[in-house]
Amino acid sequence: MDISCPFLRFILDSQLKKTHTHYMDMFLPYIACLTFALALYAALRPSPITVRVGMIAVAVAAAGWLLGLVAGSLSVFADASQGVFFVIFSLCAIASALRMITHDQPIYSALFFVLVVIATAGLFVLLEAEFMAFALVIVYAGAILITYMFVLMLANQATSQDEPDTQAAYDRIPREPAAAVAVGFLLLCLISGTVIKGTDISIPGNLPAPGNPQAQWATLEHLSVQFEREVAELDPDFAWPPVSDEAGNSIHIEGTEVFIIAEDGSTLMLPDSMLPRNTQQVGWSLVNDFPVSLELAGVILLMAMFGAAIIARRAIELGEQEKRRVLLGEVSKSEDLS
Amino acid sequence: MMTSSALAGYLIVSGLLLVIGVVGFLVRRNLIVMFLCTELMFQGAAIAFIAMGRYLFDYSGQVMVIFILTVAAAEAALALALVVLMHRQGDSLDADAFSELTE
Repeated sequence: MDISCPFLRFILDSQLKKTHTHYMDMFLPYIACLTFALALYAALRPSPITVRVGMIAVAVAAAGWLLGLVAGSLSVFADASQGVFFVIFSLCAIASALRMITHDQPIYSALFFVLVVIATAGLFVLLEAEFMAFALVIVYAGAILITYMFVLMLANQATSQDEPDTQAAYDRIPREPAAAVAVGFLLLCLISGTVIKGTDISIPGNLPAPGNPQAQWATLEHLSVQFEREVAELDPDFAWPPVSDEAGNSIHIEGTEVFIIAEDGSTLMLPDSMLPRNTQQVGWSLVNDFPVSLELAGVILLMAMFGAAIIARRAIELGEQEKRRVLLGEVSKSEDLS
Repeated sequence: MMTSSALAGYLIVSGLLLVIGVVGFLVRRNLIVMFLCTELMFQGAAIAFIAMGRYLFDYSGQVMVIFILTVAAAEAALALALVVLMHRQGDSLDADAFSELTE
């Protein structure tokens, strides 16, 4: 078939290839998204608790199916236990997020959100971001969620478990679940389609190759005191400072070997245990790459504090008599002082 | 070393959390739960940032999550102050009750 337009030919070729190899595979992720959306819709509607929990289980199963379709198998992870923990934490996060938006009582929603935060912290540990995992648990689960709990207990009238009708109507009846789930379904299709296409490294120029872990050695050179101390611990006879090349790097990397060279030509191999820890790396990146953003974050927090204090302040209405009394009280007090 | 398929798995989890947050924000009528759903969306964004940062060995991803935490804390403080104020005026947490903010 001779087609002059190259663009048309490209489309036809890709279509033909798809039909021959895996025509159905293209649509499976979207079917998973559709299952997820339908189960979510059923879980959102007011119905008995068993139906809701069952529908949430179906939605979680659809999410797991989608994950399996996208990620492939557990062997894509560094080791098998990491894959198992990934599945546990991610399904736990998704299930509690679903229960959070379907639960009638806001307090339980907040508690399920704590579970989401903890599962997310587990995912962060798997991603070797220990500092962020602990910061998340401390700041989110420990501080922000407690603030939410306070306001919920302040604002919500007490309800008993035995009488579900005492729950306010705006907590029991969802607003436009069909439209919301349709929006969610479209968004999920968009996201999964983008992720599936975007992480396919067989398409050239799509996603950069995985980063080089040895780039982390560059941070050690900036932490000069720690660098010198650790080299002295490793080899007390090493003549500090090491020679640096034209680019100013004193740590040389050849393949998997990392070493420094002294003035007298002797080399010292650096073990992997000398690499800066995750927290050090994050701290270095924070103050070195984002100094202005760090200051701005401080300003944002200060403004939020002022704003919250001013907005939530209770204005006290004073009548003429009270005003006069206060003023007179002030006057008499100042007279006492003098 | 992290494979691109593992990265895809983490990105899908983050996308699912984001979508659940969006749906919850649209569906729920309780103001406080609506703000909780925005926090859920922040969680999804944070997972995407950290997974990408781990894949590329770039620690900027984790720094971005620090900023997300900052913004989430500021947002929680301001939003909850507003909710307390509105609850004092209207004695309800229904978002529809505040569709007209004029006196």
